[in-house]
Amino acid sequence: MNVKNISIALTVLVIALLATLLMQKGSYVSQATEHYTKTTTNSYKGASKIIEYVNNSIDVNKGVWSLACEVIQNVKTSQDQARLESKYFPSTKGSMSIANMTRRFEATGAYYIVSKFSKVEVDKKTEVKSLAGLVSVNVNALVGNPGEEIAEEEEGEEGAEEAVEEAPAPKKAAKPAKAAKGKKGKKGKKR
Amino acid sequence: MDKKKFKILMIVDIVLIIGIFSLMMVLKGQYNDQAQKTVKEQVDAYLELSNGAVQDQWKAVDQYGMAWRLVYASLTSAKTEAAFDAAVKAIEGDRDARFKQLSYMYEAAGIPPQAQNSIYEKAGLADKFLLKNEGGVKEVACGKNCVISFTFAKGKLKSSDYSALANYNMADHFKLEAPAAYHFE
Repeated sequence: MNVKNISIALTVLVIALLATLLMQKGSYVSQATEHYTKTTTNSYKGASKIIEYVNNSIDVNKGVWSLACEVIQNVKTSQDQARLESKYFPSTKGSMSIANMTRRFEATGAYYIVSKFSKVEVDKKTEVKSLAGLVSVNVNALVGNPGEEIAEEEEGEEGAEEAVEEAPAPKKAAKPAKAAKGKKGKKGKKR
Repeated sequence: MDKKKFKILMIVDIVLIIGIFSLMMVLKGQYNDQAQKTVKEQVDAYLELSNGAVQDQWKAVDQYGMAWRLVYASLTSAKTEAAFDAAVKAIEGDRDARFKQLSYMYEAAGIPPQAQNSIYEKAGLADKFLLKNEGGVKEVACGKNCVISFTFAKGKLKSSDYSALANYNMADHFKLEAPAAYHFE
């Protein structure tokens, strides 16, 4: 009787061990899969984000560079530049400072150009002021030196280009701009 | 069953238990080694792929930035071959300015400095810029699969074509595939 019980118990144990043996591989596979998935997914997410964000940033950067290169080749007046701006960035407008004789186009806070003109022109009929005689295009913000930009206009009245180009300008001459403080931009990063 | 048969069954069971237990121990070691090895291999392969894509993009953006500087210089300075060659040399040689420009673009993209530095440590900067200089035609790299060209005649810049740069779509060249499923072989 005793032998019978022991042998039955041992048979049950054999079956249990066989079941464990069959499941053993599955357990390792599942642990390995979990580790692999966690590690590679983290890497995928991180790298994809970098790649995507840089792709998007470069897309805007490319538009501003293209604009700068076309401005330097073809622009004579601020209206010319405004037309080009709307070609590259239909939903963004540049701003103009009559006092500083500059037109600034900012696609994003990081990517912008500042065009310097040599004279102010006034339309005799409408008294609309505009800039003419392109002198240079400052692309410092495109090459990573935004702190070295030229004197910045701060006059609030030229928030939008059309405010000057289309609306009748005030009778009196443009107010002298405050001497723009050469505010320092971001410092270049150290490696 | 009689007592004798149960006895035999008991002995068989004991043998089986010892056998199965030994087999389990052996397989345990094998599975463990195999799991570690295959996970390491497959994780390493994917990390190489994903880090490689990020590093390739970094170098392509370096070329892209240099190319724009060169185009802009060609439009704003003397249109001579000598001035162009000097600009190529100056742009490519100024590694600090290249890093600064690159880093600025990455910062604008929201990539933190630590991440930039870790990419830079592995990738460095692009090692190719001027790709071809034959018969008055100079070709310059402006990213992965991006080339712009400048043609000179008698020392003067005759024409330049930077349309590849102006139309360069980085997203076409840099995409990361999701990791494949794990294989335990």
